[in-house]
Amino acid sequence: MNSTELLDQFILEARECLEQIGQRLLEVERAPDDKALLNDLFRQVHTLKGNCGLFDFKPLERVVHAGEDLLDRVRNGTLAYNAGIADALLEAMDYTGELIDLIAKEGNVPAAADTRAQALAAALRQHLSPAGVAAAVAPAAAAAASAASAPVPVPEPEPDWLKALPAAVRQPGRVALRYRPEAECFFKGEDPWHLARQTPGLQHLQAAPQQAWAAPEVFDCYRCNLLLTLVSDAPQAYVEEHFRYVPEQVELHLLQAPPAAAPAAAPAAVVDDAVGELMRGRIVRIWDEQRALLGRPGIAAGTVAATHTTFNHLLACWADTTAASSARRALAGLAPGATPLAGWAVQYHPAAASTGDLPSPSAIVAPLEPRRGSTPAVADEAGAGANGQKVLRVSQDKIDRLMDLIGEMVVAKNALPYLAQRAEDVFNQRELAREIKTQYSVINRIAEDMQHAIMQVRMLPVGTVFQRFGRLVRDISKKLGKDVSLVIEGEDTEADKNVIESLADPLIHILRNSLDHGIELPAVRLAAGKPAQGTLRVAARQEGDRVILDISDDGAGVHTGRVRAKAVERGLIPADRADSLTEHEAVQLVFLPGFSTAEAISDLSGRGVGMDVVRNAVERVNGTVELSSTPGQGTKIRLTLPLSMAVTNVMMIETAGRRFGVPMDLIVETVRVPAEDIHHFKRAQTVVLRGRIVPLRALNELLALDMPPRLNADAEHAVLVVRLGAETIGLLVDDFHGTSDIILKPLEGVLTGITGFAGTALMGDGSVLMILNPKELV
Amino acid sequence: MTAHILVVDDAATVRMYHRKMLGDAGWQIEEAINGVEALEKVANQPKDKPFDLYVVDINMPKMDGYTFVRELRRLGHVPQAPVLMVSTEAQTHDATAAQDAGANCYLIKPARPAELVLTAALMLGDAAASVKAADMHLRNGGRA
Repeated sequence: MNSTELLDQFILEARECLEQIGQRLLEVERAPDDKALLNDLFRQVHTLKGNCGLFDFKPLERVVHAGEDLLDRVRNGTLAYNAGIADALLEAMDYTGELIDLIAKEGNVPAAADTRAQALAAALRQHLSPAGVAAAVAPAAAAAASAASAPVPVPEPEPDWLKALPAAVRQPGRVALRYRPEAECFFKGEDPWHLARQTPGLQHLQAAPQQAWAAPEVFDCYRCNLLLTLVSDAPQAYVEEHFRYVPEQVELHLLQAPPAAAPAAAPAAVVDDAVGELMRGRIVRIWDEQRALLGRPGIAAGTVAATHTTFNHLLACWADTTAASSARRALAGLAPGATPLAGWAVQYHPAAASTGDLPSPSAIVAPLEPRRGSTPAVADEAGAGANGQKVLRVSQDKIDRLMDLIGEMVVAKNALPYLAQRAEDVFNQRELAREIKTQYSVINRIAEDMQHAIMQVRMLPVGTVFQRFGRLVRDISKKLGKDVSLVIEGEDTEADKNVIESLADPLIHILRNSLDHGIELPAVRLAAGKPAQGTLRVAARQEGDRVILDISDDGAGVHTGRVRAKAVERGLIPADRADSLTEHEAVQLVFLPGFSTAEAISDLSGRGVGMDVVRNAVERVNGTVELSSTPGQGTKIRLTLPLSMAVTNVMMIETAGRRFGVPMDLIVETVRVPAEDIHHFKRAQTVVLRGRIVPLRALNELLALDMPPRLNADAEHAVLVVRLGAETIGLLVDDFHGTSDIILKPLEGVLTGITGFAGTALMGDGSVLMILNPKELV
Repeated sequence: MTAHILVVDDAATVRMYHRKMLGDAGWQIEEAINGVEALEKVANQPKDKPFDLYVVDINMPKMDGYTFVRELRRLGHVPQAPVLMVSTEAQTHDATAAQDAGANCYLIKPARPAELVLTAALMLGDAAASVKAADMHLRNGGRA
């Protein structure tokens, strides 16, 4: 039953589970004795496995199942959690994530995935075996063997051992199984007889020697020589599940229904008979379960009442109506309590006549040991569920669609002022124009509120990105032989989904840099008088409409001497210039494209792609990066990002008769500068503004528009002062126009390669405005 | 009168699966995500429309299935309906613990559709549905 809806739900929940599992695994590593944490971790894996079972994703289930078994042992204290287990689980869960992605993409798991799944499951199971390393080879071999001889039902030919079964137990639909434990099984902590006896729905069990028993003087009692044959009426999947650790030692057959019972072609009467037979079997099973229930010590009155109801309902489905009604009459006249009901259940047992020769399932199950450690998990926060906020889960697509729609709405409403203008100018309808403007202001307000509300929905805590850092820092520091503790602060700070997503890669890059180049090896740190454990701190906070992210480490800091030398060596700056730089300026050299101080290219911080990649990624979402470093004390990188980037406020400017937009957050000021105040120095132009020299560039020139800048009536240049990173630069334009909120659409298709533009925007009057990207222009 | 089933499971996927399977058989389904919520639903259920069957998972946060059933059986004022425990724990001690809590039946998850519906039908006393489910069970070669 792979309905799409159910599958979507499965993928959604599986991803949630995996995220939680990944986090919990790291937490458990820090606090391996935290019972609550272990239980929570186990439950997540358990839920995931349970969900997998609803579908036919064998490789997926195999891996998760092995993980669950392992965690179960850790949880109940029979296995100590260690780094090896953590590694195996993390790796297995990584692969599970890959499989989920595959399922999301293709709706299925390729059969080829099973090889890897088996290897991972074997790696997990290896920790289960008490012999540990000694048995390391065996599970792998077993996995390989089970690949070849997985317990797939083989309908024919019926082997001899099947034919040898007593006819009474060979009922169609039942599962017959032959279990040949390996000779060495006792050394693996297996108990074949116990395992066989615990088979769900066990109807028949017999044991025989695999080979003739050896003479007493050479008999080795530590070698298993048993051959177990059993029949179960439980569904095949349950039986397979039960024998999941020894699939290669098990031969399984589904006993065939008589040919007459084949679907569709079968005569109605025969099918009815089979239906009746099946129902009777199930009624008997449930009946016996109720009897066993009534026999439990200390049964609650409520349970007796429910059992009474269950018996009554079973009678309603009983084909033998005469027997059923007399049983029902007796049931109605029964004295209250468990004992009379139990007596009645024996007297009116639906299978009393025919199946007396078979052991009933409950008869086998009953004498087993009581459940160990049966203290139930008591509700820890019983009230929390009641008062908890209701949360609606919505797919991201829907929110994105909403965002697109409000974007269109913002643009559409901007058409109203144009309309008002037309009403007045063309049709001379001043009254109507005013009404349109009034209406516009109402719509404008609603649109703004709506936009704000939708943006609020898209806000995510930055912690969603931080989550994966724990794992990253753990893996990398381990690989480098460094001891690093990661401190995360302000993970609740919220920002727009797109901003958060754009953060992930730069942040990972920065963390890697810190781990690889910043934080020193423990011995080096101790020698420098620092604690052996380095600290990597990621802190987020909101300031106005910006999110500030500080990533700091207490490592060696940036070695400015080496940075200068490298920059010169790579021809990035002339040697004399490098020497004249201040310490702070020298540190900034790492942002130059193609710069990397790593002596040997490590596979951790990438192929020498440096901080310029980080800066580009951050600037793409209108953010900024600052880096400061104190030698010997550490490095601090600050990312400043906008809360949201859905709507951009631009100023419209005009040059060479065309209009362009410039993002407002880049604009420092707009000034009119008399032509004579502009200084010409060789080919460069500058102007002094508020005591600072600002270099000037003509926008026409930058855009290769062949027209000189136009002066206004007072012989003044219009200068748009923009901020490019730490510098300011003046752009000579022809004229300024107003500002407008736009939805910035990036250049797509054939336009992708054009530099100098951030994108396009559709204006209220239907025209398209090109938005400049001054950073690329200059 | 349509039978009324409360499905208690923390896994949304399993809840959806049960809702589909049992809902398609013609019964009315309610859901709860843990024992605490289930007890609330039981308490808030109108007197004339009590639940006729509980389909309960074992391992859940806040309150597990055992505790829920034990608490349910202590409630004097609601009619006591049968409980069908459904869990992935294939161990006998779990089935025994389920009985000790007061559950009437125990199925191993994932219960195949026909198996689940047949058991539910029998426990609800819905003869027509049980015949249909048994028929489906057979047509699927006993594997449903």
